Amino acid sequence: MVNLNEQPAVAVRGLTKRYGEVVACSQIDLDLKRGEIHGVLGENGAGKSTLMKVLIGLVQPDEGTIDVDGERCRIDSPSRAGLLGIGMVHQHFSLVDELRVWENVVLGERERLDAKHARGLVASIGERYGLTVDPDARVGDLTAGLRQRVEIIKCLRRDPSIVIFDEPTSVLTPQESEQLFEVLRVAVEREGKAVALVSHKLDEIRQATDMVTILRRGAVVDHGPTNRFDQQALAQAMVGREVSLRGDQAAALGLTGAVLAAAGAAKSRPASASPIVLSVDGAVLDRHGHRVLDGVDIKLRAGEIVGIAGVEGNGQVELADVLSSLVALDAGTVSVDGGVVVTGHAGEMAVAGIGMIPEDRHDAGCVLNMSVAENLALGSIGAGRAFRRMDRVAMRDAALRLIDRYEIRCSGPDAPFESLSGGNQQRVVLARELSAQPKVLVASQPTRGLDVGAIEFMGEQLRAAAHDGVGVLLISSELEEILHLADRILVMHSGRIVGAMNRSEADVETIGLMMGGVAVDQMTGQMGQHV
Amino acid sequence: MSKGENRKSLVARFATRDTGVAIGLYVLSLSAAIFVSALLVAATGGSATAVFDALLDGSLRSQGAWGLTLTTSAPLLLVAVGTIVATRAGLVNIGQEGQLLIGTCVAAYFAVRVGGPGWFVIAVALLAGAAGGGAWAGIAAGLRAWRNVPEVLTTLLLTFVAFPLMTFGLRQSWLLKDRDTERMNQLNSGERLPANANLPDLMIFGNSIDSGFFVAIGLAFVLTVMVGRTVLGSRIDMLGFNPRAAQRFGVSAGPLSAAVLIGSGATAGVAGAVLLTGGAASDRLVFGFSGNFGWDGLLVALLARNRVMLAIPMAFVFAMLRTGSSFLAATGVDRKMTDVVQALLVLALLLPPALLFIRDRRRSLAPSNLAVSSAPIAVEVS
Repeated sequence: MVNLNEQPAVAVRGLTKRYGEVVACSQIDLDLKRGEIHGVLGENGAGKSTLMKVLIGLVQPDEGTIDVDGERCRIDSPSRAGLLGIGMVHQHFSLVDELRVWENVVLGERERLDAKHARGLVASIGERYGLTVDPDARVGDLTAGLRQRVEIIKCLRRDPSIVIFDEPTSVLTPQESEQLFEVLRVAVEREGKAVALVSHKLDEIRQATDMVTILRRGAVVDHGPTNRFDQQALAQAMVGREVSLRGDQAAALGLTGAVLAAAGAAKSRPASASPIVLSVDGAVLDRHGHRVLDGVDIKLRAGEIVGIAGVEGNGQVELADVLSSLVALDAGTVSVDGGVVVTGHAGEMAVAGIGMIPEDRHDAGCVLNMSVAENLALGSIGAGRAFRRMDRVAMRDAALRLIDRYEIRCSGPDAPFESLSGGNQQRVVLARELSAQPKVLVASQPTRGLDVGAIEFMGEQLRAAAHDGVGVLLISSELEEILHLADRILVMHSGRIVGAMNRSEADVETIGLMMGGVAVDQMTGQMGQHV
Repeated sequence: MSKGENRKSLVARFATRDTGVAIGLYVLSLSAAIFVSALLVAATGGSATAVFDALLDGSLRSQGAWGLTLTTSAPLLLVAVGTIVATRAGLVNIGQEGQLLIGTCVAAYFAVRVGGPGWFVIAVALLAGAAGGGAWAGIAAGLRAWRNVPEVLTTLLLTFVAFPLMTFGLRQSWLLKDRDTERMNQLNSGERLPANANLPDLMIFGNSIDSGFFVAIGLAFVLTVMVGRTVLGSRIDMLGFNPRAAQRFGVSAGPLSAAVLIGSGATAGVAGAVLLTGGAASDRLVFGFSGNFGWDGLLVALLARNRVMLAIPMAFVFAMLRTGSSFLAATGVDRKMTDVVQALLVLALLLPPALLFIRDRRRSLAPSNLAVSSAPIAVEVS
């Protein structure tokens, strides 16, 4: 414990930020001390990001003061924040894939480019913090965990005394997260830095932080030493009501342990008798010279939920694209209900009965510039003869029914789709896909960016769909979500299904290793019996 | 009763604060454009009022002027409506000048050879124009479909192929060169169309309106219905707004965009055939025949901002500038001045939507966009 003096490195007092009528942060107090990891916990939209953006100089507060090392200051730009010794590791990487590690680390610096010095820098920072990474590796070839190391090295090279980590574990396997927390520990204990860890996952906060500040709806609801709170108390403070740490809420809060306990108690449905509705056989896909799908086999039965776990970027997006008719396979087949469906032909998958809740609904899930009613009717617009009248009255009536049934909050069927909030846009997508009475429903990262209520709703809908005999394929990088909802779990790594198990046999350790591609060969041997 | 309610809701729809801002911006930028034009005229030694008088005389007030303006607006409108549909499908066709030219060439080739009654020759000319313009755009469509070559490049570059191609045709008597060897000065000019192959005119109050105008208006209405009332129109919009969503829901980008691009080339080709058989240009193919009708039609489409019906007034304004400028010589101001005025007007009409777009983009980039942007959209649902 170095330099554990009383004066906080950063002291925020009464910070308020409004956007129009929305108060993003209201009278927030926050103390970051040297030698401490300070957790900032809150749901999506609780004001965590705004608070951190203020500290890094991206957002100007309306009220309140910020003292850095006892000096009152105005952080009006990221470069000012840099001068004050504040650095941030962003949730989304800002790296150039084509460049090497050392090139990325010195990118944007004004001084002369010195490769030898830069390589040395990468090595010395790596040694100091236990962040080893090959300085000459091409960033695009690195795993997500290693890329994040590069991002951290990039931040640490300016030797900031205050480091903010914004949701750093969202792209990491459980093991990689553990390693990251070790790095944070080194940073505070050996280097005497002040670290803020922003997260919505209770496990993470409990495991890695010394102090915690809990935000709800833009205000601090509680703060104190982390060991003062148990999971129940943290969850309650964050959500604002009594929560049972089972079910969807636990999954939303990232409680692997609780979910596993719940999962163990639940009995999985006997689905082996029902017919196979979706069968992917030997799917191979090459993109830009990379083999992104490398012989994927999936069997999905009616009425079961199969989860595909895996770190992002291991072929999940491409698998979803294939099942949306967006790309054609280079080899292999997709069959729905026993009939082979041609891949890559516009609309074929939808017509065959595959519904899709896409990862990025703005990508292929909706047309932002069209109305809610039109978005609910995209399927019927795309099918059938082109030279027929658009029956807007019928379309509007159908939309009214769906708006009612799925509780979509909008000003009416003619409201522009883009005027809806994220959660309601997602409901439109869900309403459209389910009303088409699909045989298979693919949900790809369906709860990303949604709040707890919307996550709960999504979980219920997926379960209800499975109950009605739809085969549900849940692709998610949130292991908790999969453990909670799925009957069977497949693990995807490097474009292959590397493991399969029933939920009751699920073991986070093993799944984590498989997600990271560790000892896959040994694993598949063991897993073979479950496939 | 119900009509009154309809009108009220229509007013309510337009009475948002945004519309006020938009109208204000248009007034502001148009007056600025007119003011700058007047300054320029004064600077070149003319009188601004005399110039605007002359423009109005030439386009509306003098004997038969507005008929000629309507006639002139026909090819502009034909080019514009095809372009608008292509733009809605997410295509950037900027080669209308070349498509119009090739359409005219094909129309001229058949019109002087086919023979028969006048209506038949005209019909053949219009169809040949459509085929020619469509085929020329079809090259771009094909390159896009097979090799993913951006149509914005190919359509533009093909225009510069079309010009020398026509010049070549005008030198070959087996193609477009005048076969009448008696005529003097037949270099670079095609054969005169048979006398009966001119589009009939409609006389109203001493104004002769070319029936090409009614062809254009008719096509504008047909395309409006197609865009707004048919499934095909919705598919075109879907493709333009989000090609990946379109693909997912069964609208294949390849065939549909090829068809739309060829279609927009075809309307440009028809515009050429209307010019050839109508009263807005000469009745024989000459070098430089297209006279920027393609480019101007593209501008009309740009200003109509993807709405077919708005293209009708816009085409009329551009036709006014064309016919009006013929009276300009009397004021002692260079005719080129109208090009400057035209350019200023285009800028003035493009600026407000651009400003509004930038403002909306700024707003949506601000994190509070959801709360703010949903407010003005809260239109009553009846």
